[in-house]
Amino acid sequence: MITLNHYLFVSGALFALGLAGVVVRRNIIIIFMCLEMMLSAANLALVGFSRFRVTDGLPDYAAQSLVFFTITVAAAEVAVGLAVIVALYRTRQSVEVDTITRMQG
Amino acid sequence: MSVFNLEALLALLGLFVLLLEAFVPSVSSKALAGICVAGVAGVLVLLVTVAGGQEALPAFVGAYHQLDSLAMFYKAFALVITFFVLWLTLEASPYLNKFSLDGKLGEMFSLPLFVCVGMMWMASAKDLVTVFVSLELVTVSFYVLVAYTRKSALALEAGVKYLILGALSTGVLVFGVAWVYGATGSLSFEGITNAVQGGEVNKTALLFGVSFLLAGLGFKVAAVPFQMWVPDVYQGASTPTTVFLSVGSKAAGFVVLTRVIEALTVSGSMVREEVITVLSIAGAVTVVVGSLPALFQTNVKRLLAYSSISHAGFLLLALAARDSVRVDLSPGGTVAFYLATYLPMTVLGFAALIQMRLNGRGEELDDFKGLAQKSPSLALLVTLAFASLAGLPLTAGFFGKMWVILGLVDQQLWFALACAVIGAAAGFYYYFRVILAMFTPEESTEPFRMGVLARAVCMVLGLTIAVLGVYPKPLQTLLAKVPAAGTSASGH
Repeated sequence: MITLNHYLFVSGALFALGLAGVVVRRNIIIIFMCLEMMLSAANLALVGFSRFRVTDGLPDYAAQSLVFFTITVAAAEVAVGLAVIVALYRTRQSVEVDTITRMQG
Repeated sequence: MSVFNLEALLALLGLFVLLLEAFVPSVSSKALAGICVAGVAGVLVLLVTVAGGQEALPAFVGAYHQLDSLAMFYKAFALVITFFVLWLTLEASPYLNKFSLDGKLGEMFSLPLFVCVGMMWMASAKDLVTVFVSLELVTVSFYVLVAYTRKSALALEAGVKYLILGALSTGVLVFGVAWVYGATGSLSFEGITNAVQGGEVNKTALLFGVSFLLAGLGFKVAAVPFQMWVPDVYQGASTPTTVFLSVGSKAAGFVVLTRVIEALTVSGSMVREEVITVLSIAGAVTVVVGSLPALFQTNVKRLLAYSSISHAGFLLLALAARDSVRVDLSPGGTVAFYLATYLPMTVLGFAALIQMRLNGRGEELDDFKGLAQKSPSLALLVTLAFASLAGLPLTAGFFGKMWVILGLVDQQLWFALACAVIGAAAGFYYYFRVILAMFTPEESTEPFRMGVLARAVCMVLGLTIAVLGVYPKPLQTLLAKVPAAGTSASGH
């Protein structure tokens, strides 16, 4: 029997993996993928919580509607984000975070 | 026609300007800016004149949208700052368009309108879904705006940094929302208020969710420890965008934060103590962490970025002093007042930076030398703006800071009080360093030119600072209607 805790555990593990990737990896595209993974973790938690909060035999759909918004917004974010990363690649010929260190202090 | 339609109207105008720029290439920047400025001013007039109040809403949005006095104030605030940002963009266009890909600034006029729409919806949000969608409308538009002048290496770098950290904060925010929902069973502020009062909530799960939620919002308002993106992004972005981030984005973050904190710290709430402790510590550390690096900054734009962090700290402290009643302003009202005074002084300070660039000077402290000889009127206005940012009595910035400090005394938050006083004192040092530089004589014969419009708008901003500094009563009365914690959401 799969319970809410199983979903939450997977969601937490995904989130932690994503966060670790953002902190550790140096390639901006990979960092971006890790960020998307964090959003998926949040979505999984939302759907899990929603599915297990049953009233009158039906799950509470409020949280599931947020998931659709999150997916849409993530798509918009990727569209803009990849455009910015392409622009960066054209000027620097690299997508490593170590190349964007001109401003400091 | 009701207040509810205004956002849609503005979004349509934004789409129109976007398409106009794409299909009529001959249209000039001036014309585009004119259309946008006129549209924003028109919507501002409509906001004040057409029917407001909750009864102006169609029935089906009543559960997601509210039009209380706080929402109306932040809607007007969003329109005013958008108006000034559009003007600054037009003012800066002679040098900014060298850095855009096609030598034009089309989207820099339409995107602020979408940001404005997002901020207006956010002001009315009644649940976390609306908050999330409007917050992302603002953030995604800002990704483009920050990186727009991409021929400038710094702007592109700032754009990538803002993109990564912004997206990170989005992930953290949604994760927090998921857990708050899991603990309280509701996504609306009203439902969360009732749940935390009821006590039948798993406190650990709620605190887990709240800490992620506050961290996500902390990114947006630049609170420690999520402030590291601010100096780089503010410095790299074009100056009008920096103003928008510094004032607009911060105000948008704080209206959400005001509502979230009110829902969580309502009287009888099970997490009230924890939330207040986190807020006061985060606010106090933010003030200090923003102030100390500013002491050693030689780049004025970067200095203003650090000072903006310190102001965010003061705003957090205003929210932390929950029960302060000294000035008839609720914590949310004090934040709104602080932001309303923060607007003219920040816009004026950055407008001066743009005038410096137009006259071939840079943004370093040394570039300000001799400004008082070249343009006494601008130097005087900038002095006023910076003195007000520091919180000198008889300027607009004084009351906000004073009320925050008095509120901390009321609530006996001594650690936060000490940090606030240190931050305010440091502010006097670094702001007056710039003023001192302006009044340092310099041997140079280059003239300093300023347009008539720029002169007039700067005068108006300076006058606002002076008048609010001497006579803040009207604004205070306006904001006294903002209800205190717990009364707006649960109505007791």
